Amino acid sequence: MENKTLQKDNLARRFATQWKQNPLISTALVLVLMVIIQTAVMVAKADPGTSLGLSIFNNWLNILRNNAPVGIIALGMTFVIISGGIDLGVGSTLVAVGAMVMVLIDGAPTGVLTKMGITGVPAYLIGIAGGVLFGAVLGELTGMLIAHGKLPPFIATLGTMKIFRSVTQQLMQHANPSVPKGFLNIANYRIGGFSVLPIFYWLILAAVLYLVSKRTTFGRHVFAIGSNVKTAKLSGINVNKVKRRIYALMGVLVSVAAIIQVSRIGSMDYASAGSGNEMDAIAAVIVGGTSMAGGKGSIVGTVLGMLIIGVMNNLLTLFGVPPFLREAFKGIIVIVAVLLQKKEADA
Amino acid sequence: MILEMQGICKSFGANEVLKQVDFRVQGGEICALLGENGAGKSTLMNILGGVLPADAGVIQIDANAVQFHKPSDSLKAGVAFIHQELSLINDLAIFENMFIGRELKKKSGLLDVARMVEKTKEVFDRLELRLDPQTMVRDLDASYKQIVEIARAMMMDASIIIMDEPTTALTDPEIQRVFDMMRMLRQQGVGIIFISHKLREVMEVCDRYTVLRDGNMVASGPVAQVTTHDLARFMVGHDVRTESLRQSNEAGAEVLRGEGLSDGVNFKDVTFSVHAGEVLGVTGLLGDGRSELFQAIFGAAPYSGQVYVDGKNVKIHTTPQAIDLGIGYVPRNRKENGIIKDMTILENGSIVTWPRISKFGWIDRLKQRKDFEAQAAGLHIKYGRQSDLITSLSGGNQQKVVLAKWLTAGPKVLILDNPTQGVDVGAKEEIYDIILRLAGEGVAVVVLSSEAQEIIRLCDRTLVMYHGSIQGELVGDAMNEQTIMHMATGGAEAPVAAEE
Repeated sequence: MENKTLQKDNLARRFATQWKQNPLISTALVLVLMVIIQTAVMVAKADPGTSLGLSIFNNWLNILRNNAPVGIIALGMTFVIISGGIDLGVGSTLVAVGAMVMVLIDGAPTGVLTKMGITGVPAYLIGIAGGVLFGAVLGELTGMLIAHGKLPPFIATLGTMKIFRSVTQQLMQHANPSVPKGFLNIANYRIGGFSVLPIFYWLILAAVLYLVSKRTTFGRHVFAIGSNVKTAKLSGINVNKVKRRIYALMGVLVSVAAIIQVSRIGSMDYASAGSGNEMDAIAAVIVGGTSMAGGKGSIVGTVLGMLIIGVMNNLLTLFGVPPFLREAFKGIIVIVAVLLQKKEADA
Repeated sequence: MILEMQGICKSFGANEVLKQVDFRVQGGEICALLGENGAGKSTLMNILGGVLPADAGVIQIDANAVQFHKPSDSLKAGVAFIHQELSLINDLAIFENMFIGRELKKKSGLLDVARMVEKTKEVFDRLELRLDPQTMVRDLDASYKQIVEIARAMMMDASIIIMDEPTTALTDPEIQRVFDMMRMLRQQGVGIIFISHKLREVMEVCDRYTVLRDGNMVASGPVAQVTTHDLARFMVGHDVRTESLRQSNEAGAEVLRGEGLSDGVNFKDVTFSVHAGEVLGVTGLLGDGRSELFQAIFGAAPYSGQVYVDGKNVKIHTTPQAIDLGIGYVPRNRKENGIIKDMTILENGSIVTWPRISKFGWIDRLKQRKDFEAQAAGLHIKYGRQSDLITSLSGGNQQKVVLAKWLTAGPKVLILDNPTQGVDVGAKEEIYDIILRLAGEGVAVVVLSSEAQEIIRLCDRTLVMYHGSIQGELVGDAMNEQTIMHMATGGAEAPVAAEE
């Protein structure tokens, strides 16, 4: 008898220490709880005419697909925030890269590549490569401002946020590139009748970046810089170079999101596309347990954080919460998440 | 009042920090709590101060068991903890600091300055202190800050005061001032727990001592019955060396040379060279520029002038470049510059060599672990698991982890800046052994230190710096405390081989 209670106590204690040591557990539990509620609501609201399983599956695909672009941006934002930085310019970078891609792949006879006789898949590949390269360059420039210009990341990227969007709008005001039908396949091609490609891009990138964050010199240098930049420098880390690379990586991931956006819709509204993405990405990173102070965080947490926000949006729709109030719930979840993490850190 | 702690146990993860420790202090005595870093002193006092919970054991005050869950519990019971990092706010006046968090207010809700000043005065009178309560704390010297902390404890009717290394930042006359205050408190029936590494101070001011080693209480008794030598032996567990460690190594080829090095602020026109197999000391007083000089050579700051490695002229802009050239640098201020607190023991002990052991950017984790284990064994690093955070280790072990990352890199020149700062006697000797072993293996070692004893015992040759310039060079037996101090304060080079 006594032995049994002791064992139970041990188990409870072990769980408690795990809980404290690994904040991901609580994040995952929150997600599981939300999914249970969501499923319950769907079961309750089920329309007898349709298959419940299929509608739950479709609902999940929608959540994942809709959140994939911001989810990809959030992956890069995780590195940025772990390094002790922030990037407010991602929404504007997305527009700039989107415009660049659309100009390159423009299917009209006056299009850049079309004029040279390059159309179809080769043109798309050049468009994608050009977009990714452009995103990397914009990120590298941001990184230079922060690393060599010694600007606080908040200031530097507040600047790039204004500059990139504004210049894109000016340059594109008379251009009206048309996205060829074939390019739409990148995001919309159906596998077995389901549109899942953006989800794949997101999850594959998440897996790769998870490994990068854990197993590569670059990934570990990011953590070292975020935790103690002086020690990092005195341990032989070229801090400026790593910072430039972090923002360049951010730019590359924003490019992927931009390509998915262009491909999904076939056009882009330069004034509004991507605006708010920076805050949504930051929210996902924070909900996922990454510390704004730098040095601590994880890619897995960010994916969970994005899912929590996604599932919550879905729940709000299911419950019929008025659209104006949805942002408030996003705000609440960010605040609650950080409060919970604070509790854990204090304990 | 008699305070007793009995059978106190505390573990952090796999690391047993306190094993059944008994400790006792009573009013009207000053009790020294001694032990090396990591012996468990701080943990024991944090338990007494209500900062940490004990895993087992009881605390009794006048034979009544008490429970301290938070610092305010201890305070209420009359136990005040004065931490090493003082908690005074420089930008407030003394009386405001005395009442911080418990400000006296008038009915209108405004601060009752007059009453707070008056109450502060009362305490000061009791302690025979002539300080104006309205003085800004920033205008006080370090000893008076310490004394204000004591006064604050007294105002809260503390009957036991814990003082954690109160003299580290103080000059000799300041230390005497604090000691006088401690003696006065003793006369008033207050019990003081005095934590210090400085054994001479313990002999001077304490009545009893308690020594912890590896979480065990190993010795306790009246100070009058022991010598500093005994205390050091209790702390370390064996006899302590004080003899010179210099070996007459044949200095090899020149490895590093600086010519006319300046950074425009901290050091100017410095020329020196280090040879393989020699231990070069660089010493001086605060503001001599030695840290800045060697950080610049290590690529962490800009400089002008010429640097030669193995006779080849090089220009070092970044720290990875310096490492590729075979230069290593163990920084001063471990907490700020040496460790990364969010990272594991393994990562802290291997960070320097990541680029070298990775393929296409992927770290070879097996090699990382093996390299670290080899160094950890050679350095006798005591740790629980490699995946524990570096902060779970004691100061001495943290410093050894910092050393491990550099030894793994196998530098030709190793610069050590205050390598034994905040490290206890035992670990200090071990670090000296490591330095000598490296020199024996042909590494050129540069030791920057402000401790004359360290320099004299360890180095073959010493450069004394003064205001950013090299004031002179001392070799072999010419190194002694007086000459070093003379030159460090700007005196001319002593005549070679003084006759007396």
